[in-house]
Amino acid sequence: MADVILFFSSNADTMIATKALKDAGVPAKMIPKPASVTSASNLCLSIDGGVEAQAKTALSGAGVALGGVVK
Amino acid sequence: MSLRVRLLGTIIGAIVLFFIISVAAARLVLQHDLFALGATQVTNGSSAFGGYWDSRKDQIRLLVAQDAVSDTLRKALQSNNVAALQDQLANIARTSGLSFLTITDQNGKVIARANGPQPGSLKSDPLIQRALTGETVSTATLLGQSLLSGEGLGPQAEADIVGPDGKTKVRHDDKGLALVAAAPISDQNERTIGAIYGGVLMNHYYDLVDSATHALGGSAAILEGDAIVASTIQAPDGTRTVDELVPPARDVVKSDTAFTGTDTVGGTKYLVHIEPITNDQNQVIGARWYGTPLAQISAIINHTTQTLILWGVIAAILALALSIPIVQRLSNTLAQRSQQVRAAAKELGVAIVGSEVSGDHVAMTRAAVERSGTLIAELGASGVSSPKLTELKAVNDELTGDMIVIDTLSQEMSGRMQQAVQRVHDLNDVAAGLTKLVTGESS
Repeated sequence: MADVILFFSSNADTMIATKALKDAGVPAKMIPKPASVTSASNLCLSIDGGVEAQAKTALSGAGVALGGVVK
Repeated sequence: MSLRVRLLGTIIGAIVLFFIISVAAARLVLQHDLFALGATQVTNGSSAFGGYWDSRKDQIRLLVAQDAVSDTLRKALQSNNVAALQDQLANIARTSGLSFLTITDQNGKVIARANGPQPGSLKSDPLIQRALTGETVSTATLLGQSLLSGEGLGPQAEADIVGPDGKTKVRHDDKGLALVAAAPISDQNERTIGAIYGGVLMNHYYDLVDSATHALGGSAAILEGDAIVASTIQAPDGTRTVDELVPPARDVVKSDTAFTGTDTVGGTKYLVHIEPITNDQNQVIGARWYGTPLAQISAIINHTTQTLILWGVIAAILALALSIPIVQRLSNTLAQRSQQVRAAAKELGVAIVGSEVSGDHVAMTRAAVERSGTLIAELGASGVSSPKLTELKAVNDELTGDMIVIDTLSQEMSGRMQQAVQRVHDLNDVAAGLTKLVTGESS
């Protein structure tokens, strides 16, 4: 399944999201923000499209606000 | 000054302040209440003393009235048997405790006296005048020098009056304050044939004041005008205080109003009640003084104060014994925490330095990876074509992305670390402040 990019409002949120997904067992890779994405953060997370729902649940459970999703 | 000293100082200060206020309040309340109680007691005592006075007056009236109807006296008067009259009057006066007892004829001329054969006339005496009209009179009165001389009582009444200091002579008194009674003597046809006049001279006469003091406690005095003529007030040398002025009594005599307050007599301060003595014309001629030493009240107040202070000291020692270990423990805990904070701040300082060094290294690595990318791109541009070069470029692109992430993270952490640096400085200041507070020493 194609990768999905999750982006957040700040680099700090991106780091917290990384830790939250790691704790939830969702594989995620931190990558530089693509030029097509508009966000204050320089970083974003790349995940497999098959675990998007699981990732959103984990982020919601950790209280991390998701800035947007690019597929 | 260390926290320990400050805490203990505050505890001691609070205890001392508490007891100073408590003792002052207790003294004020005791002073007010005991003074009020003492005033009530001396007022009641004075009333009882007045009862003794009235009782003595009634007793004299009864004695004189009984003598006035005595057949023996009447017959002796009718027969003008002066010697027999004198004997009988002397016997009656001695057994009844009267200072004088005199019989006059219907014109007020003295026929016989208990105290001697001195002739004289009591015609001008208002009490004799009333008795000769058939009235029995009983009252307190001032006896003049002529009457006192006639009765041989002049020396008993005469005195040099000294001031309140007990030394300075202020005047010479020759009058006498007496409780007297006069009654008519009638013949069998109820015609007045004379009068009998008797009484007790109160000057230097101590039976009444002694009785009152024995029964009531305190001290009692009889004043002629504003001067003591008989009392149980003890002078510093152990004798009775007599022939001494009592300043508060002057107002009592002038205003005919009782006085309750303090008075110093014989060198001793008393709480007193002074009651005016009036004659049969309602003129104030003297006063009854009744008091208790103020030292009794002061002794209670001082004893209570000493007790409060004693228990206060015991309480303070107990409080200190309890608080010293607590303060000690608190100080030690604070010192320990301060130590921990400083140690933690030191560790954080090392972490910050490490982070800065690490950040610099990441930046250099990123620069190297980017340089590597540039070289690969230059190789591609120069026409070098190889599957390995393509693979190397892909790996380098991935490495560049990771380096960007790591560098971004490093910069982010560097910003956070800058804030942490400030916090560590703050923590250091707090720790130093705590150390100074606890130990009183600057680090």
